[in-house]
Amino acid sequence: MRDSTVAIMTILATEGLTRRFPRVTALDDLTVTVTPGVTGLVGANGAGKSTLIKILLGLLEPTGGRAQVLGMDVATRAEDIRRLVGYMPEHDCLPPDVSATEFVVHMAGMSGLPKTAARERAADTLRHVGLYEERYRPMGGYSTGMKQRVKLAQALVHDPRLVFLDEPTNGLDPRGRDEMLDLIRRIGGEFGISVLVTSHLLGELERICDNVIVIDGGRLLRSSSIADFTRAAAALTVEVEEGHGPLADALRRSGQEVALDGRALVVQVRDDGTFDVVRDQVAELGLHLVRMEHRRARIEDVFRGEEAVHAP
Amino acid sequence: MHPEAAPDIRGVIHDIGYRRYDGPRLGRLHGFGTLFLHGLRGVFGLGRTAKAKVMPFLMVTIMLLPAVVAIAVMALLKEAPLPYQQLSVIMQPVLAIFLASQAPVLVALDQRFHVLPLYFSRPGSRMDYVLARYSAMAAALFLILALPLTVEFVGELLVDPPGPVHLGAYLSSMAGAVLLAITLGALGLAVAAATHRRGLGVAAVIAVYLVLTVMSGVLLGVFMATGNDDKAQWANLINPFHLVDAVRAWAFGHPPGDFAYPDGLAGGLIPLGAMLLVIAASLGLLAARYRKVGS
Repeated sequence: MRDSTVAIMTILATEGLTRRFPRVTALDDLTVTVTPGVTGLVGANGAGKSTLIKILLGLLEPTGGRAQVLGMDVATRAEDIRRLVGYMPEHDCLPPDVSATEFVVHMAGMSGLPKTAARERAADTLRHVGLYEERYRPMGGYSTGMKQRVKLAQALVHDPRLVFLDEPTNGLDPRGRDEMLDLIRRIGGEFGISVLVTSHLLGELERICDNVIVIDGGRLLRSSSIADFTRAAAALTVEVEEGHGPLADALRRSGQEVALDGRALVVQVRDDGTFDVVRDQVAELGLHLVRMEHRRARIEDVFRGEEAVHAP
Repeated sequence: MHPEAAPDIRGVIHDIGYRRYDGPRLGRLHGFGTLFLHGLRGVFGLGRTAKAKVMPFLMVTIMLLPAVVAIAVMALLKEAPLPYQQLSVIMQPVLAIFLASQAPVLVALDQRFHVLPLYFSRPGSRMDYVLARYSAMAAALFLILALPLTVEFVGELLVDPPGPVHLGAYLSSMAGAVLLAITLGALGLAVAAATHRRGLGVAAVIAVYLVLTVMSGVLLGVFMATGNDDKAQWANLINPFHLVDAVRAWAFGHPPGDFAYPDGLAGGLIPLGAMLLVIAASLGLLAARYRKVGS
């Protein structure tokens, strides 16, 4: 009973996964576990994100270690895994002289869907990703945003249990990025498909992910829920018209951790008492309080802080 | 507000949200069939732009000309049809151009536009992909040869010129078309798959054909001039069209017309061995190529 619960709760797991290329080690003894929902895989370019996805899909062989996807070993059951997962590659992958409809129908067939089902699913999926009349035109004339939508549609057309999205917001303008992130959130929620999404930008994933895995140089830096990330980063931005210096001193004297950030003070929130202390000190010094807000905790900041700590 | 109005409201719900797919997920064979049909249609420009249809249909039209002429000759001059088995050898430049222009469509475009990761992240294996593409190329070559042969044969049956019906020659030529399709299809695809650039692929296939033809022709001429007729017959086989035709002539006992091939058991087994070697080597090259690309 307990074993089966564990199996359902684990979407994928790696154990000491290693991949060496002639000149670099892309993955170095990586052990992670991913639970259902939306999981962000974050790291700089070259951190090993794409390599990990390719190994999980059976496109690349690992040099060492083991990996399981949906409870199946990638070394022995790659075909079964590929039947139940979707993959949106990082790079352009669309032939320009066919229409989105034709292409997605074809890819549905390649995933094993019979002809009629392939047509129905392709129409449904293209609608869900927000592609309408333009889906009958050749894809060569599409904008980057439309191409990203088609790439996403072909990954979803066979209704996978899990999708790998490699840098889905690459090349999108801010609005396109927001729409793509909303779409990914819906895939994980409304569609009920687990998502592993990569990005080199920590900030954009915090809106949509339940969990975040941070890797660097093929090694695991951190794997935890978004809540853990943001809790550690709770801080208060305080801005007064004049007198930042005296206020900072006063706050420090009353035991608060204060840093200067441009024209504002950043006060670490210990507990609810912190708010009272700030209010009282501002009033006592007779300062004009311009702004006091809960600083939007950014996992990026946590990561930067940790990096600084780890640096020799 | 009447309570009766409620059922009408149901009819205007458009977005029914995300629907799961509970239908069948077919095996690798289905993926293979899908890719084969997709490739075969693609070779003839079907499901692609109008421009993509020009070249293949021009080639089909040119291939049909000898059949049309043969039917006209049979009808007007009451003569025997153009020997069926000569069609592939006479029309070899057209077939070579068809192969050169369409093989890259099957293998270069997927590399050029990085579509391979999408195929390889689906149930079928890399070798499934190679074999589906190969089958499509071979089927296209067979069709472009079988169509004029069949048109001419139907013409012969309808016109009914003097003499017996050439059923044997027709069937032997159809079998020859199969041999040519599986041999040249493999060779052309192996050459075209070496590059992701389509133009380069076209040029490379044509170059291989020209080099082999010229080499064969020059050696043939030299041996003929020096009186080495038996060596000339072997030199003739360097041309892949003649190689396959020699296998056909040996296997089905129908004369190759003007083209002399080596006699005896060796004259059959050696071309057959060479033909199988070309197919195996080409598929080996393709397998090696597709182990590397697309991950």
